[in-house]
Amino acid sequence: MQIRIDNASGRPVYQQIIDQIKRDIALGRLIKDEKLPTVRQLAAQLAINPNTIAKAYRQLEGEGIIVTRPGSGAFIANLDSNLSRAVRKRLLSDELERIAVEAFHMQIDRQTLLEWFNNAVEKFNVPSKKGQSDG
Amino acid sequence: MLTLIRREIRDHIVYFIAAVVFSAILIALLTAAAYHFESSESAVFVGLSIPMLVILVLGFSAMGVTQMYLDRNRRISAFLSALPVTRSRILTARIVAGLLAILIVLVPLAIAAIILGRLIAPPIPIFAGYIADILTTIFLMVLACYCLGLLTGWTANKIAPTFGALGLNLVLVSLVFVKGFGPDIKFLLVLVIVACLIRTWHKFMSTSL
Amino acid sequence: MDDNVIKVENLVKYFDGRCVLDGINLTVPRGCIYGLLGRNGAGKTTIIRILLGTEPATRGRTLLLDTESTNLSPGIRGRIGCVAEGHNLIQNYRVNRIIKLCKDLALHWNDESFDHLIETFRLPMDRRVKDLSMGMRAQLNLSLAMAIDPELLILDDPTLGLDTVARRQFLELAIEVIQKQGRTILFCSHILSDVERIADRIGILAAGKLVVDCPLEQLKERVKKLRIIFPESPPENLYLTEIVNQQIHGREMTVTVANWNKQKQSILETFKPSSCTEIPMSLEDIFIECTRPGTEPV
Repeated sequence: MQIRIDNASGRPVYQQIIDQIKRDIALGRLIKDEKLPTVRQLAAQLAINPNTIAKAYRQLEGEGIIVTRPGSGAFIANLDSNLSRAVRKRLLSDELERIAVEAFHMQIDRQTLLEWFNNAVEKFNVPSKKGQSDG
Repeated sequence: MLTLIRREIRDHIVYFIAAVVFSAILIALLTAAAYHFESSESAVFVGLSIPMLVILVLGFSAMGVTQMYLDRNRRISAFLSALPVTRSRILTARIVAGLLAILIVLVPLAIAAIILGRLIAPPIPIFAGYIADILTTIFLMVLACYCLGLLTGWTANKIAPTFGALGLNLVLVSLVFVKGFGPDIKFLLVLVIVACLIRTWHKFMSTSL
Repeated sequence: MDDNVIKVENLVKYFDGRCVLDGINLTVPRGCIYGLLGRNGAGKTTIIRILLGTEPATRGRTLLLDTESTNLSPGIRGRIGCVAEGHNLIQNYRVNRIIKLCKDLALHWNDESFDHLIETFRLPMDRRVKDLSMGMRAQLNLSLAMAIDPELLILDDPTLGLDTVARRQFLELAIEVIQKQGRTILFCSHILSDVERIADRIGILAAGKLVVDCPLEQLKERVKKLRIIFPESPPENLYLTEIVNQQIHGREMTVTVANWNKQKQSILETFKPSSCTEIPMSLEDIFIECTRPGTEPV
């Protein structure tokens, strides 16, 4: 697992780790039940404070993206997630609204925005309907 | 403690070697003087002993100055205080090293004097007492000059310690020659030693490194 | 038994009538990596010197491992590893002599880890300290500090003079130390990206005061920089508390606010700005904002 920390970014380090793990999962680089490095291993590998890594893992666990099994470590969860639809809607809606605001400020019209959105969806293999996978 | 003493000795090994050499010279002189006791040549040897003594005194004073000055200059104590040692231990080790050097010169000399005394001179008790007196006074005088060196050396200035110590030493030495080897001179020397050590201790402990 | 390894209480320090530290309060708990930041001359080295007992405080007190700094016994010193500014070593000695001296005087010495460090850093044993490059002296100091297996590491600009690779090695070392139980690190650095990687808590020293003292992750969430555009000229007073910095250019106002929350958001909205965007701030940005003269403590 390759994680890069960007110091110029405004995002906190733990958030960057979370983002990159989620991205890897979406890109298929991390699959269900795959074992993640331990907090200690990742801390030593990246030269980052173990507390930061621990926080990232905790949040990922809270979002249901990873599960920790005592004695074994952290694993990518079964992605037919147990998070309720309402929670998922809330998490994604915030992001979508943020994008809408940015688009407004950048004066991007709806058509173009939807086109770009579809490209992103293609890239990450988001299935059209639950249970299917494109291409 | 031993480590600190070893460090002092190694740093100032020159003085220790000089001490050994000097000790040998003094013993040689003493032996020569003893064997020519009766003849007129003995006066030469006695005459030589005075400059020898002066060299001895100045040498140890210089040692004291060097020990303290180098510490200040090379920030040795600053480095050592970051380690688990106390300042008092550093200073104690320093003084012990100085004492050791002094003893290296004087103890063999004393032994030689005793042996020669037994071999050559008639077994008059006063004589032995006389030798003991001289040696003790010499020891105290050298120690006093050493302590003066320590005191004047703990400064960042290069010139002050050299001339300061020199001046004070000359004062002391002349005092000894004027007053002889009696008990009052011994008392004075002990006073000087104690005063110097106390002041040095205080200065060393309180300086910001 | 208090678990705060470093305690600074109302520390005040004057140098020649000039106030360098004006009432500093700081605690570092066990297991924490504390990054102390500040511009040159802000007083970071002074705090460290006072903590280690090499400099007396004018007022207030500091404690290391529950002992007053003025009274540190050899037993306590043996548990603290420190790298002082300028890498204080005896210049004439050869490297191996310095090592032997430290080893003989140390209370614990971890041969294995020390040898590993010397090998990693490739330090020449026979050379005199004064002939080493600055970076090598830094590495030697670090190795000596780490070799005693210290409970507390106090490092004043430990990466000064280190090249990129060596800096990374240092970071990895620091992480290695902190992974062991009960270790604490206090360090100052100018390289904010390094601090950001490994610190748990950040302190920023400016104008004699600790203007920031909080966990690193909180810092980025609490300090926000906003670019607000108003339809007409910006209002004189935003009625927002804890404004760290404020700049006005025409209709645009850039404001850096600490402890941003919903309340402040709503207050801002009453002024009906035409747009309000958040400018992401890296630690460097936050640092620059917080060390501008006239900044209020966060």
